[in-house]
Amino acid sequence: MKPSTQSDLLKPTNEDTVGPYFPINFSDPLLEDLSRFESGITAQPQGIPIILKGRLLDRFGELANGTLVEFWQANAKGVYRSPKHEGDSDIDPWFWGYGRLRAESGEFEFKTIMPGLCADRAPNITITLFSDGISRIVTQIFFADQESNASDPLLQSLSGEDQAKLSARHEGQSDCGSKIYTIDIVMAGENEIPFFDDLIREGE
Amino acid sequence: MSNSGRQLEIGPTDNTSDQRTPRNRLRLIPEIARESFAPYVPQRGLSRQNEWDMTRIAADLPRAQGIAIEVSGKLQNERGTPISNAMLEIWSANHFGRYRHIEDHSNIPLDEHFLGTGRVFTDSEGNYTFWTISPGAYLARPDIGRWRPKHIHISVSGGGSRLITQLYFPDEPNNASDPMAILMGDDFERNIGKPYETPKIDVDSGLNFDIVVGGRNAVYFE
Repeated sequence: MKPSTQSDLLKPTNEDTVGPYFPINFSDPLLEDLSRFESGITAQPQGIPIILKGRLLDRFGELANGTLVEFWQANAKGVYRSPKHEGDSDIDPWFWGYGRLRAESGEFEFKTIMPGLCADRAPNITITLFSDGISRIVTQIFFADQESNASDPLLQSLSGEDQAKLSARHEGQSDCGSKIYTIDIVMAGENEIPFFDDLIREGE
Repeated sequence: MSNSGRQLEIGPTDNTSDQRTPRNRLRLIPEIARESFAPYVPQRGLSRQNEWDMTRIAADLPRAQGIAIEVSGKLQNERGTPISNAMLEIWSANHFGRYRHIEDHSNIPLDEHFLGTGRVFTDSEGNYTFWTISPGAYLARPDIGRWRPKHIHISVSGGGSRLITQLYFPDEPNNASDPMAILMGDDFERNIGKPYETPKIDVDSGLNFDIVVGGRNAVYFE
């Protein structure tokens, strides 16, 4: 594409709140469980199956019901399924890395595989929240038992307290042998977790 | 030059916004981590044959009550490049202002012929079209008499595009007091559809809504 200056750009349509009534009939079970592929096909995503159990909490500690939660992560070898990595031999054909669910009560359970180390990044899952009362907010969740956290540039840009808020804790395993991780995503108030600005670049 | 990200604002008179809006400034993302924040959405969505026509639950059933409208427009990125094969998930209240959603417990009547959800895809030039019933406004805060203006929810996804927005209607008296419209300020204008006439099709009128997906996903548009 030809280079454009800022003034050539069209102004984006405003993001708006998803509201309380995102249609439940738009749900897709395969986007809520990335640890398997479509049924009837001999195929299995590579990697260690995990379950991320989360609670979405508002500033009064109440569950933020009806929130649409989206997930984005690298595969077991640390590769994102994005155009930048097209043709990469480490793409897993049975794993895309995008998930979505509607947390009816404000609690969720997302089945996936442990993301791999990606260049200088510790294993992480990007989480996007669409909820009533707000437009899209984004953060990234890490796993407390991963040594590579100590050198992750995003995690290390935060205080120790904030790092802990983004770290899911390993708490047992499921009947099927998946490691269970838990996280409280406090959206506002005293224990609010860090959210990130993906519109503004450093130095702007 | 800023050392931190945006401060999100709370929608005036919106209790849920007060409960759920982060109070701290957003943090900046180190450059090396930026790519990881831009999801690339697979084409998994499905649309049934009749979903583009939300004025009926199915092709063989009667039309819902209210004013049938066509909504159409072009989906493009900030550089004006059309975004093809993207999915639009659409939902709205019926003519009376009631959602057919299991969690909408209001006393406003349901319409037996209106579902209020539909999915369509953009074509190779980024264009989309659907028919629906012009939704009713509803009283969101009875205690202070604040209404939610007529609006249609639209969620856009596909490839590097991800946007959830709402389409509003021109000259609606409740637009000015809507919490999210207040936060958008002058930019709210871009979320209002532009009326057009529809003499040759079986709807009352049309509303043009061109959608521009901007911001974070520019990484895949270059």
